[in-house]
Amino acid sequence: MIKPRRFILDRLSGYADEAGAFLRRRRLARRPFARINYEDGSSVALEETEQGRALFLAAARLIDIAR
Amino acid sequence: MSSNSPAAIAQSTTTTIQETRFSDTAVIFPDVMTESKPATEAGQSEAAERALDYLRELTPELRGAVILDGEGGALAATGAAERWAEAGAALFGAADDAGGRPADHVHVATGDGEVFAVRDGDLALVAVTERFVLASLTVFDMRAVLRDLRAEIIS
Repeated sequence: MIKPRRFILDRLSGYADEAGAFLRRRRLARRPFARINYEDGSSVALEETEQGRALFLAAARLIDIAR
Repeated sequence: MSSNSPAAIAQSTTTTIQETRFSDTAVIFPDVMTESKPATEAGQSEAAERALDYLRELTPELRGAVILDGEGGALAATGAAERWAEAGAALFGAADDAGGRPADHVHVATGDGEVFAVRDGDLALVAVTERFVLASLTVFDMRAVLRDLRAEIIS
């Protein structure tokens, strides 16, 4: 039979692992990104690059207007 | 052969008569024959308003949207039309500059919300939604709404 302290430690470390994974996923998902798609089916991603800066600014303005 | 023969009766083609009737109908009932053609600007705006209402039904996470015409003006918007039109045109301008060619659709996600922009011919639709919406579904709905509006305006 597993000892009580061992059981509690396992449980706690399990919860901590889950919480860490959740935060990692959330951080990753919240990272801003921009994707431009073209008529021929191709696309380009602009993750906070200098080129994408104007796009992010224009998007931020639209989000402000929608508030 | 007697003069009562059927061959002596003058005949006219039925097709001609039907064509005449059709054009007469158009003259007599002009409202009915042109019912689905919102040729005026007001008619186009009304159609665009209906399209936005439909998009709102399809996308509960929608915060706001604007439909732009070929000249970058707002056909319909959920708020101040001029501000929406300027910002929407700026987004397309930035996307076209960034890629070096005209964009078909654009998706920008930030911590505060997500922006989608779709082009269909002369018309364009720009929408702002909550975070974490299903991007492909949102773009699909926007494209469908825009295609229906375009068909309604052009037909």
